[in-house]
Amino acid sequence: MDPSEYAPTTSQFQNGRYPIFRKIWRYRELLRSLVIRDLKVKYQRSFLGLIWTFLNPLLTVAVLIAVFSHIIRIQIEEYWAFLISGFFAWHFIQMTLSHATTIFANHASLSRSVYFPREILILSTAVSKLVEFLIEIIIVLIVLLVFYYQWIPSSLSLLPVLIMIQLVMVTGLMFSVAVISVLFHDVQHALPIVITSFFYLTPVFYPARMIPESVRPFSFLNPFSGLLELYHQVLYEGGWPSIQLFGSVTVYAAAICLLGYWLFKRYEGICVEIA
Amino acid sequence: MLRSHNDAHNVAILCKQVTKEFYVFSHRTNSLREWFIRTLQRKPKKLGFSSFSIKKFDLCVEQGDSIAFIGLNGCGKSTALRLIAGVYAPTDGTVQTFGQVGSVIELGAGFNQELTGAENIALYGAIMGLTRKQLASKYDEIVAFSGIEDFIQLPIKHYSSGMVARLAFSVAVNLNPDVLLLDEVLAVGDQAFQTKCIERLRAFRSEGGTMVVVSHNFQLVSQLCSRAVWLENGEIRMIGEISFVLEAYQQFSKNDVK
Repeated sequence: MDPSEYAPTTSQFQNGRYPIFRKIWRYRELLRSLVIRDLKVKYQRSFLGLIWTFLNPLLTVAVLIAVFSHIIRIQIEEYWAFLISGFFAWHFIQMTLSHATTIFANHASLSRSVYFPREILILSTAVSKLVEFLIEIIIVLIVLLVFYYQWIPSSLSLLPVLIMIQLVMVTGLMFSVAVISVLFHDVQHALPIVITSFFYLTPVFYPARMIPESVRPFSFLNPFSGLLELYHQVLYEGGWPSIQLFGSVTVYAAAICLLGYWLFKRYEGICVEIA
Repeated sequence: MLRSHNDAHNVAILCKQVTKEFYVFSHRTNSLREWFIRTLQRKPKKLGFSSFSIKKFDLCVEQGDSIAFIGLNGCGKSTALRLIAGVYAPTDGTVQTFGQVGSVIELGAGFNQELTGAENIALYGAIMGLTRKQLASKYDEIVAFSGIEDFIQLPIKHYSSGMVARLAFSVAVNLNPDVLLLDEVLAVGDQAFQTKCIERLRAFRSEGGTMVVVSHNFQLVSQLCSRAVWLENGEIRMIGEISFVLEAYQQFSKNDVK
């Protein structure tokens, strides 16, 4: 074997002599394989394949559009365009967090048998959901380009940055949800309710300006509020968001990620043992 | 760099005063309610009480050496192996391994039932830390060794348990790590395959590979290993030349039965 390909010892990894990014780079092949496995297992054996991933959120979108533009009328032009510009980001958050609860349990025998950086388990789940999200957002962009935009807004160039911020935020939350749900099994039962509540509390299907002035500052304590607002501004309004909003969401995402990672590193050892 | 540094000593595995403490939960599940009550009552914050599995474990294995862990069920053999594999972090003491470590502690861990044999080989290789190029160069060897070429494109849920074991074992032994850790996984497959595995492991040893084997099959470990560690309640009761330790252990087991 080529000496440069020589694996550092496991104890070196655990002592943290190797920074996280180098560790992940060393195990990039595992990350890739786990992502491919997730996607393959999910799609290769179902008859309609990939279509199922999109049918599910698409039906939700259809119902929401029907309800909020015809029954409870939200006063906003082209409501459907408003909804799809933010909904799929929310769907990504929802899917990743609900999957995070079972990551340790699903990989219990693997992680008790072979050493590899446990971060890979979280990251591979995040990346495989990200692949689905990217396909969704591309479809959304095509639909908006064909039916909604009169011109191509320059703010679309912010979209990749937005997706990165979203990934950082969600990965941080996944780190914490994954360990906490092993330590406290209740979290698995509580999380769906929490996610559903946040769906109503976050401006996903209504604009942030509909929130009464008095509680609006509090609504931005919710990390998803800022993110969804950014999506609405960039995709629906086609304008550049304010630097304050953009900056605060970025800082918020970074803080969540660091806190989540800290929690993860603190408890991952116990989680491997008791998952 | 690391390797040359250690060449002077030729050490492959070094355990110093290793202690492993487990959290054992006093209930079936660990619940948030319990945690709140404990916090309110100002009971110890720890989530459960701990039990020792390994106590002050010292071990030095040289490169090319082959060592067996023996002992009664629950004496800490597998825990010791997992500590060496880096799967568990020691509560106290240090574990060092030099070179690439391949561990087969649960056979077929990480295999996915829906994927084909070929896809599972790729996945398992990646788990062991191989790059795609390295795996590609070994793929044919692995498939040939497993002897299930005809089924390799089928999802492994259609395999018999023996076939899955063959596949997992073939990947593990053909990856040629520097240190190979095996936990009671040699008793797989039919007689012919077992003989093939033992031959392969002997070749691995003669090429300078280091091996740690946990097994209750004394005939097998005496063929493969030169030294043995007899563990009792997480502590080393005896360590030494294989036939010597095995004899003492068998004597002990006989007395125990009486």
